[in-house]
Amino acid sequence: MDLLDLIDLVQSIADGILFGATYAMLGIGFTLIFGVMHKINLSYAAASVGAAYASLLLMTGVSVPAPVVFVFAALCGGAIGLVVYVVCFRFIPRANPLATLMSTVGLLLLIDEVIVHATDGGAKSYPALFSDVIIAAGAFNLRGDLMFVFALGCVSMVVLLLLLYRTRLGLATRAMSQQPLAAQLCGISVDRTNALTFVITGVVGGMAGAMIGAAIGVLSPLLSLPLTVKGLIVTVIGGLGSIPGAIIAGLLVGGFENFFQFFRGVSERDLYVMLLLFVFLVFRPGGLFAPAAGRD
Amino acid sequence: MFKLSAALVAAFAVAGLTIAVPAAAQERTVKITGFGAKTGVVRVFGINSEAAMKAAAEEINRTGGVKLGDGATGRLTVEFLDDRCNAEEGISVVRRIASTDAFVAVGPTCSNVAESLFGILQKKAGDASDTGLQFPIIADVAAKGGLAKISEWSFRNVPSEFEMYKALFAWVKTQHPDLKTFYGGVEKDFAHSNATFGVMKAQAEANGYQVLGNTEWLLADTTFSTQIREMKRANADIVAIGAHPASTCGALKEMQRQGVKPKLLIGLTSSSSIETLQGCAAQAEGIIIPTSFAPVTDVAKKAADQVAKFNGSADLHSAAAYEVMFILKQVIEAQKIMAKPDTVAADRVKMRVGLAALKETDGLLGKIGRTPDREAIKPFLFVHAKGGAWTVLHTPAGS
Repeated sequence: MDLLDLIDLVQSIADGILFGATYAMLGIGFTLIFGVMHKINLSYAAASVGAAYASLLLMTGVSVPAPVVFVFAALCGGAIGLVVYVVCFRFIPRANPLATLMSTVGLLLLIDEVIVHATDGGAKSYPALFSDVIIAAGAFNLRGDLMFVFALGCVSMVVLLLLLYRTRLGLATRAMSQQPLAAQLCGISVDRTNALTFVITGVVGGMAGAMIGAAIGVLSPLLSLPLTVKGLIVTVIGGLGSIPGAIIAGLLVGGFENFFQFFRGVSERDLYVMLLLFVFLVFRPGGLFAPAAGRD
Repeated sequence: MFKLSAALVAAFAVAGLTIAVPAAAQERTVKITGFGAKTGVVRVFGINSEAAMKAAAEEINRTGGVKLGDGATGRLTVEFLDDRCNAEEGISVVRRIASTDAFVAVGPTCSNVAESLFGILQKKAGDASDTGLQFPIIADVAAKGGLAKISEWSFRNVPSEFEMYKALFAWVKTQHPDLKTFYGGVEKDFAHSNATFGVMKAQAEANGYQVLGNTEWLLADTTFSTQIREMKRANADIVAIGAHPASTCGALKEMQRQGVKPKLLIGLTSSSSIETLQGCAAQAEGIIIPTSFAPVTDVAKKAADQVAKFNGSADLHSAAAYEVMFILKQVIEAQKIMAKPDTVAADRVKMRVGLAALKETDGLLGKIGRTPDREAIKPFLFVHAKGGAWTVLHTPAGS
């Protein structure tokens, strides 16, 4: 490996880590739902891409700056999150986790097909912020748009943590996560708390979808499935239910993805990322930051 | 007097009805069934093919319909079924069509469907030992080379990408003698992209360009930075991208970010569509793509307008579907196809024989030749993205 290769390798990993912020945001959504309801929402990434598409469709024919599109994506994400809760969780018996899992798989496919029918499956250009900004650091370049994605991801995570640990909703969410029965006895509404959790994760997902669209430059319905897989990998590696874990794992997966892309090419890249998942499942099944188990 | 007039009017009315009844009986509905992807990420191809077939049917009906074997006039209707770009679904759809009165089907969208589907047809017509399906199919979109040779019941009206890129690279050589090196970017997990990139690379080598390598990505990739960095390091004069619009746009946007500006950019035939311009018009500026359709002739312009009325877009794929409808009209009339429920088996044989006998048909850009192995030799031209639209760059001699 010569110096040029080394520079390219470091640059690739840096780009991957920055893009990994979007994986982290998806991981947060998966992990938050799991933390509160102990259930996996497999339609989350599709809903995120759906929210980004919805923001584009709502803005059709209207010339608005990129931040407005992003805000709309977040709002659409919140609305879709609520729909996901009502369709897949609200009326399905909680005692049957497989039923909710399968209903979210169904919704994943449904959302995908709705996107395809609304857009005829075509790729859509997505606006970006700071896409023409390149920050030079010696031999390395940092993309302005990815830096923005990274920064927004970090801000989202901080806001979420504040929400969880500094608000009554956060208190209710944590109570539901730790002792659902006791939380109900204390007067916490299960449905309201769950619904709000889905709306909040939906907002984060909408932003993640928008950031993914902005970072790639185009939205495609093809993105739903790979992003679902990446989100799940991040959630497992980070530790189911751990927000800091999802953040670190998202960045790690982004970096590893580009590392393997650099050395082994696109045909093998995902193979190694999946192997990483198995390594964690075998040697550290709780992930990087497995939360302490509740008393029950 | 009034009674006499009334009687005369009644008599004329009865006479008129008597004459009109056989005239009405001389007209039949002829249903042509198309199939392709109408769900999934290649839905746009099915939508466009359906629109093109309906537009062509309307035009044929408007100009008198089709003359059937017994002298009756056939009015064409189009039904389009969804195969979801899935081989099993495609086979199932065609078996369903073959169980009806249909004497031909038009489709499919995807080469993987066509390849499997043509495999269930009888390989050699008239071979009693082969129990394969005896049902003629003419493909409009599936682009992978040489598929029609799988069965004597399979036909295609798709351009030869080999011929198109052969002509393109030869033309580039004459127009840009200063260019020396070639580099590629290919969508690794899509058969058509891979196969066509292989054609591009071979033609680059055949024309004396130094091939510096290629980089790969996936159809649903989220990051192109590493790949485009490889491209940047190669610093080739010509960059050819063998990818469909979604990942072509992802790669082109990353090329812009990293300042990769090849002297010449060549794209995949399927990317000469409105999708690419919707996804990345600015970044695609200047990309050259060979195509078998552009609204450059009067009939092509008219066809494009008609397809648009059916909410479709005329491109090299849907234009093929439009042309197929006129080819079918030609064969129905030449072979005296009856289009009756009791003549289905005979009509299918006549359709196969008629399609196989074709040496030349009319196309939207000019005459379309037919090869002995049931493929089309279509005229083509080179377009490039300019100002957010596809404009004709060059029409090769003989096209």
